[in-house]
Amino acid sequence: MSEPVLVLEDLRVTYRTSGGAVPAVRGVSLEIPAGGSLGLAGESGCGKSTIAGAVLRLLPGTAEVSGRVLLAGKDVYELKPGGLRAVRWTAGAIVFQGALHALNPVQRIGDQIAEPMLVHQTVSTPKAAKTRVAELLESVGIPARRAAAYPHQLSGGQRQRVLIAMALACDPQLLIADEPTTALDVMVQAQVLELLADLRRQRDLALLFITHDLSLLTTYCDRLAIMYAGRIVEEGPSGDVFAGPSHPYTRGLAAAFPRIGDRSSRMAPSGLGGDPPDPAALPAGCPFHPRCPLARPECREAEPALRISGPERRAACILV
Amino acid sequence: MHPGVTPLVEARDVHVHFGTARAVDGVSISVMPGEVVALVGESGSGKTTLIRALQGLQPVTSGEIRIRGAEPEWKGRAGRRTFHDPGIQMVFQDPTGALNPRHTIYEIVAEGLRIQGRRDDEEELVATAMARAGLRPPERFFSLYPHQISGGQRQRVVIAGALVMEPSLLLADEPVASLDASIRGEILALFRSLVDESGLAVLVVTHDLGLAWNIADRIAVMYLGRIVEVGAVEEVLAEPQHPYTRALLSVVPGRDEKPQLLKGEIPDLRNVPSGCRFHPRCPLLQSGLLPEEVAARCVGEDPGRIGLEEIRAAACWAVAR
Repeated sequence: MSEPVLVLEDLRVTYRTSGGAVPAVRGVSLEIPAGGSLGLAGESGCGKSTIAGAVLRLLPGTAEVSGRVLLAGKDVYELKPGGLRAVRWTAGAIVFQGALHALNPVQRIGDQIAEPMLVHQTVSTPKAAKTRVAELLESVGIPARRAAAYPHQLSGGQRQRVLIAMALACDPQLLIADEPTTALDVMVQAQVLELLADLRRQRDLALLFITHDLSLLTTYCDRLAIMYAGRIVEEGPSGDVFAGPSHPYTRGLAAAFPRIGDRSSRMAPSGLGGDPPDPAALPAGCPFHPRCPLARPECREAEPALRISGPERRAACILV
Repeated sequence: MHPGVTPLVEARDVHVHFGTARAVDGVSISVMPGEVVALVGESGSGKTTLIRALQGLQPVTSGEIRIRGAEPEWKGRAGRRTFHDPGIQMVFQDPTGALNPRHTIYEIVAEGLRIQGRRDDEEELVATAMARAGLRPPERFFSLYPHQISGGQRQRVVIAGALVMEPSLLLADEPVASLDASIRGEILALFRSLVDESGLAVLVVTHDLGLAWNIADRIAVMYLGRIVEVGAVEEVLAEPQHPYTRALLSVVPGRDEKPQLLKGEIPDLRNVPSGCRFHPRCPLLQSGLLPEEVAARCVGEDPGRIGLEEIRAAACWAVAR
């Protein structure tokens, strides 16, 4: 097997705040093989977006990071500024949510797509950059002549396509997509995600897809990792995890996305109840125990580690 | 469909035009007591404008609105007429934005009552509304501020603020779109139990077909200012007739069918296509499988509006009506 494109080893991120240290990521280890895809799911505040920022070293100065991040074999936190710049965009690129805010409103989209290529010198002349911008726009389904448009002249779906084109500009091996379609309509969301799936097939591009929408991940990712309170609580092949969750948290989260046509969810919306824990004040023991329908007294004592729960599957629950 | 029962709200051939933009272009819909109706569509379908019209906030260009069988008390001059009916209350989508951060939960829930004038039984009404919305015991929340409660509780406060007016109809615009998946289920369950226990009716605007499956009795699918398909949720979602509904259903994540992607996005409301307004994006027409005379109608002839009396219908030339 070839070298994984992304390896996280015991990644920990703590934010220093006026109210004290807030642990956002508390020891996450994972791997994405070249061309593979991993979906990272969880509620607000579980640490999933912090992981996206940590991979490309984009976190604010108040974040303390420990553990290792290996992107295309390079330890991101050992790199000098020059090496870091080289790794961003060329090894790993990120597509954020809210394309309106991620694009510069007063710069033509063609120039915005060309910028990383010129900075990283993946093209030698502005003319070559222009040709490449045209190819990239066509590849995301936007006519090349639209390169002269400003972001406000495009629809939400088109802007998200521009962000994808920009992320692909330097031919990265890994794309990190953080809620890439949250603000979009369902049909536009499907268009953008199918486009992403096509591009991945053509370019053998690996994907780290971060969202709260578990049902999207099962369609677009090979593997799934569920996060709760800064840790992975379950992982495995996405279809298996969604269809037969091992961890009670995954079960609650999966039930929130009803299958249309499934009689058991008709007139019976289901959820977990309760709220995600405050990262600054995590419950003792298993952090999920206050919301867990199956909690036992011993769940209050020690936080369970991930252990094997099936073929290629792990879960962090004493009942597994 | 409900002989002898008067609908809580009825719209007959309602149009709302903004200049040349036909945001709502001939819509008929009704909501019965004790019923949840889901109004489904994408941005630009006119669904938000329609519920603003039903709430009395948006003057209608033409057509008729009836509240509990009667004309509402219109105010304002011709063309700008609005109405206010405390029996119709709105639940907004973003609970954090909808709540004044400097008011206590009690003041927020009591606000609607106070606008109508102070009353002696205010505290009792507020407590009852909060308990119905699942904030129990209500007294525990009275003096808290929005930032001191969780996201799910904030959405319950928004709902309590509507319930305190003792409405017969709630209009809810994407009530769970901004909530975490885990909280979504609780809030939807709350809507359903309010309907089942007290005969309240809910018209919920959403893009989420799973929500319709979870709580709605009937569904109406909107496209570009028109309702293109209506029916009981089980029937429409099990056997969608309109090609637009079929496509929307096919892109729900996690389904076993291949997603049927429509080309492009919803056209501009100022430029509604001739014939069937869906025809430039219609996969059925593009498949070339339609008989020639049907295809000619799709391009040249409007399939018309779905009337109030139609229980199950699709505005499509390829579907018999």
